[in-house]
Amino acid sequence: MAFAGPVLLKRIPDDPAKRKLINIDQYMATGGYESLRKAQAMTPEQIIQLVIDSNLRGRGGAGFPCGSKWKFLPKDLHPRYLAVNFDESEPGTFKDRYLTEYDPHVLLEGIAIAAFANRITTSYIYIRGEYHLQAKILEKALEEAYAKGIFGQKIPGTDIVHNCYVHRGAGAYICGEETGLLESLEGKRGWPRIKPPFPAIAGAFAKPTIINNVETLACLPYIIEYGADWFKSMGTASSAGPKLFGVSGLVHKPGVYEEELGIKMSTLIEKYAGGIKGGKYRAAIPGGVSMGVLGTDQYDAELDFDIGKKYNVLGLGTAGVIVMTDKTDLVVMLRNIVRFFAHESCGQCTPCREGTAWMHKMLNRIVAGYGKPQDFDLLMEIGLSMGSMPGTTICGLADGANWAVRTFLQKFPEDFKARLKSDHVQGVTLDAHAAAAV
Amino acid sequence: MPTMDVDGKKVVWDGKKMILQACLDAGMEIPHYCYHQGLSIVASCRICLVEIESPDPKDPAKLVKVPKLVPSCQTPAVDGMKVHSISPKSVANQKAVMEFLLLNHPLDCPVCDQAGECHLQDYSYQYGRSESRFDEDKAKKPKKDIGKHVVLYSDRCIMCTRCVRFTREISGTGELAVFGRGHREEIDVFQGRSLDNPLSGNVIDICPVGALLDKDFLFTQRVWFLKKTPSISPFSSGGENISIEHNQGRVYRIKPRFNADVNKWWISDDIRYGWDFIHNNRLQTPAAKGVPQELSAAQSIGQLDQAVKKNAATPGATILVLNAFDTTEEMFLAAQWIRRIDPQAWLTLAEPKIDGEDQVFKNPTTGAVTYTLRAEKAPNRRGAEKVLAKLAGNVCKLADVQGKIKAGQIKTAMVLTDPFGHADASLQTAVAGVDTLLVLSTRPDGLVSQASLALPVCTWAEKSGVFENYSGLIQAFKQAIAPLENTRSTGSIFWDLMDLAGTYDPAAVRRMMSELGMTEYAAVALPEHHEKIELMQFTDL
Repeated sequence: MAFAGPVLLKRIPDDPAKRKLINIDQYMATGGYESLRKAQAMTPEQIIQLVIDSNLRGRGGAGFPCGSKWKFLPKDLHPRYLAVNFDESEPGTFKDRYLTEYDPHVLLEGIAIAAFANRITTSYIYIRGEYHLQAKILEKALEEAYAKGIFGQKIPGTDIVHNCYVHRGAGAYICGEETGLLESLEGKRGWPRIKPPFPAIAGAFAKPTIINNVETLACLPYIIEYGADWFKSMGTASSAGPKLFGVSGLVHKPGVYEEELGIKMSTLIEKYAGGIKGGKYRAAIPGGVSMGVLGTDQYDAELDFDIGKKYNVLGLGTAGVIVMTDKTDLVVMLRNIVRFFAHESCGQCTPCREGTAWMHKMLNRIVAGYGKPQDFDLLMEIGLSMGSMPGTTICGLADGANWAVRTFLQKFPEDFKARLKSDHVQGVTLDAHAAAAV
Repeated sequence: MPTMDVDGKKVVWDGKKMILQACLDAGMEIPHYCYHQGLSIVASCRICLVEIESPDPKDPAKLVKVPKLVPSCQTPAVDGMKVHSISPKSVANQKAVMEFLLLNHPLDCPVCDQAGECHLQDYSYQYGRSESRFDEDKAKKPKKDIGKHVVLYSDRCIMCTRCVRFTREISGTGELAVFGRGHREEIDVFQGRSLDNPLSGNVIDICPVGALLDKDFLFTQRVWFLKKTPSISPFSSGGENISIEHNQGRVYRIKPRFNADVNKWWISDDIRYGWDFIHNNRLQTPAAKGVPQELSAAQSIGQLDQAVKKNAATPGATILVLNAFDTTEEMFLAAQWIRRIDPQAWLTLAEPKIDGEDQVFKNPTTGAVTYTLRAEKAPNRRGAEKVLAKLAGNVCKLADVQGKIKAGQIKTAMVLTDPFGHADASLQTAVAGVDTLLVLSTRPDGLVSQASLALPVCTWAEKSGVFENYSGLIQAFKQAIAPLENTRSTGSIFWDLMDLAGTYDPAAVRRMMSELGMTEYAAVALPEHHEKIELMQFTDL
């Protein structure tokens, strides 16, 4: 059995005109919160085993097996917290926002199931600061769920009262990194933590904490309902289940589409996103800019969690595909990407703080027409010393920036080399060039 | 004891330690900026990354290479571990981090106070490039006046956050924070606040670069001219270990000296900035009723001797007023001398000033005491009390002295004064109307104008000896600079009065004390001076 139609998006019509917010009554009328009832009849161990059997991998970017993550919780340490990572800030990624904007209860049901399975005391939905509307929607949905007794009640069979809160971020990409998120949740500066201790041992407020992505949790009701085998019937051997793909860039119908993992990018673009808009396919980012770029010959790339090694990118990431054509200026594209990382680097680790800013300044100069021949190797080298040697920074932001820079340079060297001219003298900065031009 | 192999050398440590700390304790340097033993670990500067091979938990004989570089500041040392801090991969990272740190760092070492004791300079010699590959415009960041004693040069800052952690974890005052993000971030004080806690000067010491500088020391001296003399704080009963930094007979600054049992790495601002009495407002000639006298050293000793002996025929007509600012040896000698002239001579002590209550600083998170600012503003009350207890006999309170003078019992008073005038008022009252007043003073004010003879003495920086702190810890300190012209130590005056051979030797006095049963003075030695490990010698270049 393969993909037979939307799962997570089954309540959201394709036609934008027909989409509307699904309230708790409508949600329950279409089978909502049935999975929670079903889960509550199971033991926590059974649920965790089911999630492990389903091979559900985290949808936030890293693809870490969800069940294994849950298993890291120390046995008898309470209270435990669940932090829902809704800090969806990776450029090109808008799947969680789309899902929650129309069907917020599927997330809440997933949270309730995860809380039941892991004996969670408090769940925090950490939502990106810019998501004003979505935070309001979630708060309202949460109110409805409280009224129905989904939250604020004892977890059956225990003395644990499970509460759930929406916590709004203040607009920082780094707070989507799980330990940065925890710091921010605690009211501190969103600087990723050094590990150990890992969040499962000492996370939010130094208590055992699970951090799951919105989409990961939204999968739970369906896994409970239809079982692990059904879930594994979709996708590939290592990447099971349906997946939300966000498609943006130069396509006719950008948007969020659901397909099984392992689908070819060409299928995604042509079948769902209405095909390439104006020009020929040249490059695409598979899942958020930190994953790197797919080359011209990788149009048919199969999008699953293991694309990294196959196509020389970091991974699938958030599956937010950004499509570029032969009309896209890839140097400017990379400059924009690096500007993002320089802007969002938290500034804690030296290599990332300085390296991202350096690359950004260099790319600004190249875009302005003052590139020098040695810039190519230098960019590549900074990328390497900043992130690709493992362990050089606390979190993966530098690594992400590095993958973007490196894959752009490796896969499209001619675009960059065309901008580098030998008549630009070493030692002359962009400001000096600008001053000379005036 | 657990052992690990660091670059082919054996490092042994005790208990639980991180790799970096174990190496530092063993005298091996791994470059580091953000790590400071007294602060929490953030592992953010990333220069201390090393390659390690760790014993396999299942088969400890087998070493497993860790694929990532690990921060040595944050990775626990494990018995049998192999650490490579000079392997090609580790060095490549050190070089990369140095290049990153220097990208926007101004090339202003020639005018920077930190030059000469700057980690950035030191490591730059080892790992830096001679030429910058940064062909872009440097970031410009402002200078900021952030507190009473501290100025911040933001453009020199490497964002190690030691200072921020200090204000959060040691002083508990939290004035400093990181503002902004990424390469635009800066250290700053919160709006409307200033770095004005009683420990603020410590952030200057822990700043590994020239970002946080001392306003008091700013542009006064290049640090490579400074000589460091281990000393003990004379400002309070804490016995804080300090280092007097001086050049050509002038003190330029006082820095804390690490002592795990006393002040750890810290000192308070009143110690750091309270030393101007060494060079200002000094009595430099003998004086009679405030009028300077042309007297040689021998003449002044002779006059002092005469003046005391004048009334000494009557037993108990003489009093010696000690002061808790002098060393125990000096007070012992003085008391011995006066009792030799008159075995029934009175002894007393000017009570040290108590300034409110001890101020205890705690880490707000852990509650651990980080520093205690002692209320008792004198270094050696316990030493003085020991001398009084040893000599015993006629010992009275300072408050009782006036009564004895009025009753005609006491005719001669010899007063050792403190350098700050803390006890001036009570001394004035106590000795009013005495027939012969003899004063040893560092200052020309106070009792000097009334004294029939006042002799100039030197401050603690100009002599050596021991102080005993509030907890009974006896600590020796060294003479840092030569005594100011025409002044000499209190100890040397009494040494001469006692007709002892040679020049004043505190160690000899301690032996005398020990022979009289004050055995705790037998083996007082200077604590070892922990200097920063020197990274580079000139000959290495």
